Amino acid sequence: MVVFEGERLEEAKEILGRYPEGHERSAIMPLLYLAQSVEGHISREGLKEVAGLLDLTTAEVEAVASFYSMFRLRPTGTHVVSVCTNLACMLRGARDVYEAAHEAAEMRHGQELSEDELITLHEEECLGVCDFAPVVQVNFANHDQVTPERMRELIAGLRDGSVPEPSRGGPAMSSFKSASRVLAGLEEAPA
Amino acid sequence: MSPEFERRLTRDWDDPAVIGIDGYRAKGGYEALKNALNMDAAAIIDTVKASGLRGRGGAGFPTGVKWSFVPTNTGKPTYVVVNFDESEPGTCNNRELVERDPHRLLEGTAIAALSIGCRTAFIYVRGEYLAQGEILERAIAEAYEAGFLGKGIGGSDVDLDIVLHRGAGAYICGEETALLNSLEGLRGQPRLRPPFPAVEGLYASPTVINNVETLMSVPDIVVRGPEWFREYGTEKSPGTKMFTISGKVERPGNYELPLGTPLRVLLEDVAGGVLGGRSLKAWTPGGSSTPLLTAEHIDTPLDYESVAAAGSLLGTGAVMVLDDTDCVVDAAQRMTRFYAHESCGKCTPCREGTWWAERVLGRIADGYGTAEDIPVMADMGKHIMFRAFCALADGAASVIDSSLKHFREEFEEHVRLGRCPLRLDHEAVAV
Amino acid sequence: MTSEVTLTIDGKEVTVPAGTLIIRAAEQLGIEVPRFCDHPLLKPAGACRQCYVSVEGQPKLATSCTVPVAPGMRIRTQNSDPEVADAQRANLEFLLLNHPLDCPICDRGGECPLQDQALAYGPGDSRFREAKRVFPKPVPMSPLVGLDRERCILCARCTRFCDEISGDRFLELFARGAGERVSIAAGEDFRSPFSGNTVQICPVGALTSTPYRFAARPFDLTYGDSVCPHCSAGCNMRVDVRRGEVVRHLARDEYDVNDAWLCDKGRYAYRFPDSPERITTPLIRDHGLEPASFGEVLTKIASWVDGARVGVLTGGRLMDEDYYALSKLARTVFKTNDLDHRRGSGAPTAELFAARAPMGVTYRDVERAKAILVVGLDAEQEVPILHLRLRKAAAAGARIWVLHPRRTRLHDVATHVLVRPGDDGSAMDELREELTAAGEDAIVIAGERPGVADAALAVARATGARFAYVTRRAGDRGALRAGVHPSLLPGGRSLGEAGAVESRWETPINREPGRDARGILEACAAREIDVLYLIGVDPLRDFPDAALALRALENVPVKIVQSLELGSLEPFADAFLPAAAFLEKEGHVTTWEGRGQRLRRVRDPEGMSIPDWEIFASLALACGGDLGFESLDELHEEMGELLAPLDVPPSLPAPSEPEETAEGLTLFTYPLLVDEGRLSERADELKAALGGPPFAEIHPDDAADVHVADGDGLVLKTSAGEATLPARVTERVAKGWVFVPFNQPGFQANTLLDGDFVTSVTVEAAELVDAEAGAEG
Repeated sequence: MVVFEGERLEEAKEILGRYPEGHERSAIMPLLYLAQSVEGHISREGLKEVAGLLDLTTAEVEAVASFYSMFRLRPTGTHVVSVCTNLACMLRGARDVYEAAHEAAEMRHGQELSEDELITLHEEECLGVCDFAPVVQVNFANHDQVTPERMRELIAGLRDGSVPEPSRGGPAMSSFKSASRVLAGLEEAPA
Repeated sequence: MSPEFERRLTRDWDDPAVIGIDGYRAKGGYEALKNALNMDAAAIIDTVKASGLRGRGGAGFPTGVKWSFVPTNTGKPTYVVVNFDESEPGTCNNRELVERDPHRLLEGTAIAALSIGCRTAFIYVRGEYLAQGEILERAIAEAYEAGFLGKGIGGSDVDLDIVLHRGAGAYICGEETALLNSLEGLRGQPRLRPPFPAVEGLYASPTVINNVETLMSVPDIVVRGPEWFREYGTEKSPGTKMFTISGKVERPGNYELPLGTPLRVLLEDVAGGVLGGRSLKAWTPGGSSTPLLTAEHIDTPLDYESVAAAGSLLGTGAVMVLDDTDCVVDAAQRMTRFYAHESCGKCTPCREGTWWAERVLGRIADGYGTAEDIPVMADMGKHIMFRAFCALADGAASVIDSSLKHFREEFEEHVRLGRCPLRLDHEAVAV
Repeated sequence: MTSEVTLTIDGKEVTVPAGTLIIRAAEQLGIEVPRFCDHPLLKPAGACRQCYVSVEGQPKLATSCTVPVAPGMRIRTQNSDPEVADAQRANLEFLLLNHPLDCPICDRGGECPLQDQALAYGPGDSRFREAKRVFPKPVPMSPLVGLDRERCILCARCTRFCDEISGDRFLELFARGAGERVSIAAGEDFRSPFSGNTVQICPVGALTSTPYRFAARPFDLTYGDSVCPHCSAGCNMRVDVRRGEVVRHLARDEYDVNDAWLCDKGRYAYRFPDSPERITTPLIRDHGLEPASFGEVLTKIASWVDGARVGVLTGGRLMDEDYYALSKLARTVFKTNDLDHRRGSGAPTAELFAARAPMGVTYRDVERAKAILVVGLDAEQEVPILHLRLRKAAAAGARIWVLHPRRTRLHDVATHVLVRPGDDGSAMDELREELTAAGEDAIVIAGERPGVADAALAVARATGARFAYVTRRAGDRGALRAGVHPSLLPGGRSLGEAGAVESRWETPINREPGRDARGILEACAAREIDVLYLIGVDPLRDFPDAALALRALENVPVKIVQSLELGSLEPFADAFLPAAAFLEKEGHVTTWEGRGQRLRRVRDPEGMSIPDWEIFASLALACGGDLGFESLDELHEEMGELLAPLDVPPSLPAPSEPEETAEGLTLFTYPLLVDEGRLSERADELKAALGGPPFAEIHPDDAADVHVADGDGLVLKTSAGEATLPARVTERVAKGWVFVPFNQPGFQANTLLDGDFVTSVTVEAAELVDAEAGAEG
C-alpha cells in the first residue's frame, strides 16, 4: 500500500512546512510518526516513502528510525503497553507489575506481539513520573502507581476493547496508531 | 513540616486556571515579556547574569553567560532550543512544571529569544511526554492568538515562532549536541566540540539550548530583578530549585526548595522520611548519573558546590532513595542496564563498557560472580570515566565507581555467599 | 599564509601549520599513535577513543585525532606516559570483548590494523567471561561488498566515507548502543562506484571484497606499484599477484592525484590480463590463424607494408612511450599521417591546447578552486576520481555548474543545467560573469561531448579561467602529446611546425594532414588504404559507426591486430601481435592533467607478449627502417626533447559554429562506467553490482509526444539503423535529448551512430508485439 497519499500526503506537506526552508530534514521524526500512525508500525514502504519526501536514501531514513525506541519497525500490537522498571519504579515494585503484565497478556518474556496481535508489551526506561511510581503507559498515556492487580485490570480492559482512562486527567489514546498521529503533531483522529 | 520560603516556580501550582492564558495573565503572566520587549538584548542578558541563575538541566552553567556567548552579527539566524527531553532517571520536575504552568515556559523562551535576536525557537519534548506535548500545543495556540507569538509580538515589531518537536525515546537526546542532531533529522548522536552550539549549533547557526526549569525561572527575574532572585540559595548557587524525590520515601514528588537546603530537610520534613520508617542506605543527588551518597551524607546541603565537595554532583536534583532492604548491586545493575540501553553506540568505552558491566553486574547480583569480577568492575569504571565521547558514559561510570566505593562489601558478600546477602531473589529480567 | 605552531611530543619538538591535529603532528615526528576511526581524508570523529594522549595541564586525556595543536603544548603519547598506555590498553580490551576469533579465516589477517595495534598496545589476555555477540555473516551489502557484523568495531569510517566523500549514502548506522550496526536498507543495495574504498579503509575484516574473499593471504602475494589503466584519472594503485595471477587492486595514497581512492572499476576490473581469451603468441593467417614467431610475423607484415598505403588506428590503452614510438613508426616507416587514437570528431582547439601545455589544471587546483564549470563530462561515470575531487571542492565552498544533457551525481552539490541540444554556448555565456569574478580561481573543465570543448576553451580564455580538456581513456593524453593524430605532431606541433621533429627524426614529414579515424575507415571501405594496423582498438565495438567499421574491415585487404586478444576481430585479422598488459610494462602514462606517472613492471609479460613500443621498434627494423632507440632510456631521451612544453598560440582557431540543431530529438551516448568494455572482462561481481541492461532515457514531455510510458519499448531510428530499447522516462535527461549508454550487455549504441557520439533520432512507441523483439546489433 502507499502510505502517504491523499490526506496523509497533505499532512506530510504541512509537517514539512513547520521547519525553516532548506532544513526540511528536521521533519523526518514527525513524518515517521505519521507513517507509523497509518500502518501501526513503520514498514519498508513507509521508510521508502519518507525517503522520497525528503530526497534521502532509504538507508538514511532507516538509520534515524531505528535509533529511537518509540519508532517500531516490526509488526506491533494495537496497543503498546510500556512498564517502567528503572530505579525509582523498581524500588516501588515495578518488577512485579511487569510480571503481572506478562501473565495477564499471556505473553512470554521477549515476545513482541501477543497472539491476538492486540498488545505489544515492553519494558521501558524512566518515563518521568517517578513521583507516582510504579508507572505504566498505555499508548503513551500515563497510569500512575500501578499495582500488579491494577496492571491485570488494565490488560483485561484492553482485551475487552476498552482503553482505560489515564491518571491525572491526561488524554486517553485509543491505540498506538492514534498516539502516533498525535506525536506527529496532528489531531488524534484523521480528518 | 516544609521549610518556610516564598514559592517562585511553584507559586501558582494550586491554581489550575494558570494553565490557560487568561488565568496566567490574571496572575501577572506575560508582564515580564512586555518588560523585556522594552529592554535591550544586552540589558536582558545582564539581568540574567546578575541573578546568577545556573542551568537547571544538570550542568549548572551560568545562564546569562551562556546567552552572552551567542554572536548576533554573523548573518545567520540565531535559535533558542528548549530542552524538554527530561529523561534522567529520577527526574520529573520539568513534567510537572509544564503540566501546571505551561505559559511560563513560553514566556521564558520568548525572553531568551529576545536576548539573542532569535525569530524561531524550538521546544524539543521527549516523545513519552505525549500529554505534556499536548498541553504545550494548546498553550502555544493560545499565545499566538493573544499576540505573544507570531508577527509583531506584544505589539512590537519583533516576530517569534515556536515550533514543538517531539522526540522518540532516546535519553541521549537530552545531551545538547545530540538534541541538535536529532532536531536536524539526524541520528541523535552527540557532536564534537568545538565548535560550540553558541557559535555553531542548530543548522550550523548560533544557538542557545536551555532546560525547561531554567527558562521558567527567567520571567520572575526580569520582573522582580536579580537581587530578589538571590534572596534564597547560596552565593554560588543562588535561587530556588525544583527537586524530585522518589523511591523509598513516604511522599515522593516534585518540590521547590532554596538551593543549599540539606538533604535531611527534603527527605524528612518535606517527603515524610524513609518509607515505613526504615533507614536510609543510599541516595542519588541528581539522578542515576550522579555518584551515590550514603546516610553519612544526609546533612549535605543541596547546592552545586556542597554536593561536589561530598563527592557527587547536584545534577538535576533528582533524589532517589534506597533503604536498608535494597540491594545496591541489584540497583547498580539496573542502572547500568539503563546506560547500556541508552548508549548511542558511537564510542567504544560507553558502548562496550556498559554492555560488559551490565553482564558482570548481573552475574554478581544473581550470585554467579567470582572474585576476579570485582577488580575488573573497578577497572571498567576507571576506564569509562572521562574516556568517552560524552557524559552519558560518565553517568554509567559513576554508578560503578560510587557503588563500589561505598558498598564494596556488599559486592564481596554476593560473591562469597553465591547469592544476595539480603536474600533477595532477583529474577533475571529480560535484557 | 598559515601560521605555524611549535609544540613538544614525547619530549621532541615539532613545528607544524596551525590547525594540524595532534595525531598528524606526531606522525611528522615518526610517532604513531594507535587509531581506528581517524583517517586523514575524513573529518575527525573521535569515536574509537584509541588515540588518547595526555596534554600537560589538562586533567583528562585528549583524543589526538580531534584536537588541533596549540603553541607550547606538551604532549605525551603511550611512549612516555603510562596512564596513556593503560588507557589505550583498556580501550583495546573493550574493542576485543566482542570481536570474534576470526583471524584464521578473516581476509584482513596479516594486514590488519586491529591485529597490529592489539599486539602493540593491547592486553595480552582477555578478562571477558561472558558470551560474545554473534550475528549472521557475511551479509551482502552489494555483489561486491560483504559485511561481517561481528568484526565491526563501529569506527564509522565506511559510513563517513559514503557521507563525506562519495555522497552515496547507502551505508548507514542503524540502531544504537551495542546493537548499532552498519547496514544497507533492505532492497537498497550499496550501489556506488566507490564502494570498494570502504573495504580498503575498514580497519578490520568487517567489510570485505567478495571477489577477494578467501583468495589470498598477504604473504602469498607479490605486488608492485602501478597506475590504473581504466581511465585518465591516473589513480595510483598497487597490483597484487598470487602465483602469477592478479588477485587484487588496492589504492595507493597519492594526495596529488587520487587522494587514497580508487573507483570500483579500477579496483575490481583486474581480471582482463589473465583472461582465457588472451593470446600471447604471434599469429599469422594461413587458412586459419596459426602461431608463428615474431620474426616470421614481422617479416610478413613488412612485406605487406612495403610500398603500401597504411592506416593506423589505436585507442587509449597504451603508454606514453608506446604512442611516441607509434607516431614515429607511422610517419618515418609507413610514411603516413593517417593515424588516430580518437573515435569521434575531436575538438581541434582543445586538443591543440592540451597537447602543447604540459601540466595545466591539476587535482589540487580543482580542490582549491572557487568556481568550476564542467561541460560535456559526466565525471562520476567517465573519470570517477575527478568526480570525487569536485565533491571535495564543493565541500570546501566552491560553486560548481554542470552543463550536461543528463543530471549527474554532482547534482546535490552543484547547479545543474540540463542543456537542450545546441544550447551549450548560450548556457556558458550566462556563466561568464561568475567565472570572471573568480579570476584565477575559476576552472573550466570540458569533456568529450561533441562540439563543446572548443567553445568551453573560448569561454575560459575570455574570462581568465583556467582550462582542462578531460578525455576519458588512460592513454588519451599520452597519445595526443605523442602526435598519434592526423594533424598534430609530437609536442602538439602542427604539421606546419614539423621542422623540429624532422631534424630529430632525420626524416621528412608529409605536410598534408592525414585522415582521422573516420576518414581512415572510409578509405578502408573504399579500398583506398591497403593495410589497416589496429593497436589496442576494435572499431566494431569502439567506433561510433558500426556499419562503417564493418565495411572497412570487410574491404581493406590487410588487417594487423596488436593487442591482448582478438575478440570480434578474429575473422578479420591477417596477423596478430601479442602485446604486454599494463602491469607487465615499464614506462609512463599521462593523466588528464598532463601529469606523467611512472608505470612499473609488476610481473613479466605473459607468454611471448612484449611491450608495444618494442614491437613497433622491431617492426620498423623489419621494414628496413630504424626508430633509433633500443632501450627505454634512449626513447625517453628523444621524447624529452620533442615533448617539452610549447607555448599555446595566442590566437587559436575559433570554435566551429555548432551545427544547426535539426528539428526533433538528438541521440547522445557515452560509455557508462561499468559496461561491456574490453578491460572489464570477467569482472562479474562488478557488473552484478554496478552494471545494468541497456535503456533509452527520454524526457517525460518527449515521451508523452509519442505516448510512451516508463518501461515501454521505445523504437529509435537514426540514419544508421534502428533499435528498440526499454524507455526510462525521467526528468533526469533534458528535453530534446535521448540518452543511450554506449555499450551495455546486449546492445551496442554504435549501431545507431554515423560517425560521432551524437546523431538525430526519431522515436516511437514499440508495437506491443515488437517490444519483445529486442535490440539490434
